[in-house]
Amino acid sequence: MHYEELFEPIEVITYFREGRIVPLKFRWNGRVYKIQQVHGQWKARNGESYQYHFSVGCGGPDCFELVFDSGDFSWQLARVCLEG
Amino acid sequence: MNAGTHNSRLIAHIDADAFFASVEQGFNPLLRGRPVIVGGTKTQRGVVHTASYEARACGVHTGMPLAQAREICPQAVFLKGDFQHYQAASQVLQEIYLRYTPVVEFTSLDDAYLDLTGSRHLFTGPGRRRDPVALAREIQQAVEAALHIGVSIGLAGNKVVARIASGHRKPRGVVYVPPGQERAFLAPLPVDALPGVGRVAKAQLTELKIFTIGQLAAMPRLVLEELFGANGKKLWELANGIDARPVRTRILPRQISRETTFEEDTMDRVIIMATLQYLTERLASRLRHLGLQARGIGVKLRYSDFTQHQLTTTLPQATHHAGELFGEVERLVARIPRRRLRIRHVGVQARPIEWNGLQPHLFDLTPRRELLDAAVDAIRRKFGFMAILPADALELRKKYRVDKSGYILHSPALTR
Repeated sequence: MHYEELFEPIEVITYFREGRIVPLKFRWNGRVYKIQQVHGQWKARNGESYQYHFSVGCGGPDCFELVFDSGDFSWQLARVCLEG
Repeated sequence: MNAGTHNSRLIAHIDADAFFASVEQGFNPLLRGRPVIVGGTKTQRGVVHTASYEARACGVHTGMPLAQAREICPQAVFLKGDFQHYQAASQVLQEIYLRYTPVVEFTSLDDAYLDLTGSRHLFTGPGRRRDPVALAREIQQAVEAALHIGVSIGLAGNKVVARIASGHRKPRGVVYVPPGQERAFLAPLPVDALPGVGRVAKAQLTELKIFTIGQLAAMPRLVLEELFGANGKKLWELANGIDARPVRTRILPRQISRETTFEEDTMDRVIIMATLQYLTERLASRLRHLGLQARGIGVKLRYSDFTQHQLTTTLPQATHHAGELFGEVERLVARIPRRRLRIRHVGVQARPIEWNGLQPHLFDLTPRRELLDAAVDAIRRKFGFMAILPADALELRKKYRVDKSGYILHSPALTR
């Protein structure tokens, strides 16, 4: 298993509704990943803004941690955990 | 099991099993069932903060050097960890516990006492089949559903027995000690299962051929008082399952410390002092957040040969002002003999601590400092901790990754 901390800016297609943030797809290394499961989420406060962390799966065994910063509306790919 | 529970106290001690590692496993399904070690990556140095039960089965334990953990459990996943994540998980635990009683005492991020005396009737009263064990199982399931982590729960009439019971059947255990059974439950356990019995006390008791709590409980109290002074009476009471301490929703910590190990040992005085200043700034901020003041301050330096110098001083008046605290830290560092060795680890420690505003002073600058601190805190609440820092602490930008909440130090699992 390969586990790495990246904190790379990425593009994410997101659905915002009733205070909920639902990441749908993201692009990383030129490939588009469709999010199939959100395994867990948590948020941390940074001043007045929040960072929302999502552990997501894209159909395979690999696991990605995405972070949304409500201060500047940016997404990062924080960590990847790749099987094999 | 439910006999005699109606009028006596019911205290639960809840301890999350291998908390940091469990939070990581709960958040990331790929880690479940695998040995996980939180403390640093495979290439980092440092010590194990938490090992999952899978890693513990290989012999890894908290405090073990990472290099040794790598040797005995090479298949483990090594993680730096993220303190904010664990804090967020702890917040969820708190919300769950508060559903069962308003009297919750958090002693750390992952363990808490709940006084269920008043509220248990809502969950275990007549007409309901649920007993204290069923109630504990319900709490376990609520935690499992929210965080995918296991907790062990001890239930008893007082804090010490509940605490020992929670550690009795880990992981995911529930142990209930009914009223009147405390002595019988404690009797066969080794003496060092009691809080307050460390290596030294255990050695003293071993010399007296006292190995179990039952043997300790049978000793005359006066003999223990002669041996251990004021602690002797407390020890005798605990051994006999007597503990009247209430569950407190707000506790005065004995000490608060902030420490870090450098990525590489250093002799750079600027970096060492900037790190100490940054840690003092975080310490003072924490004190103010909790409504506390330090009566004393200590500094710790560990050299690359692992010799450690630790000095403390009592302050002329209690404070939570970072500038005042760092002034004392500088004086303490100047008193530590300089050696031609690199420094590995630094830390600051506030101890003793008291509640804020216990003793107001007539003729000093306190109000002006209070205003300054309030302004600093307001800026940080709005823009994050890094929005305002002493200039010298900015030197650390060259060394550490930064986010709005602070520098990402060597041990992110403990960076707060």
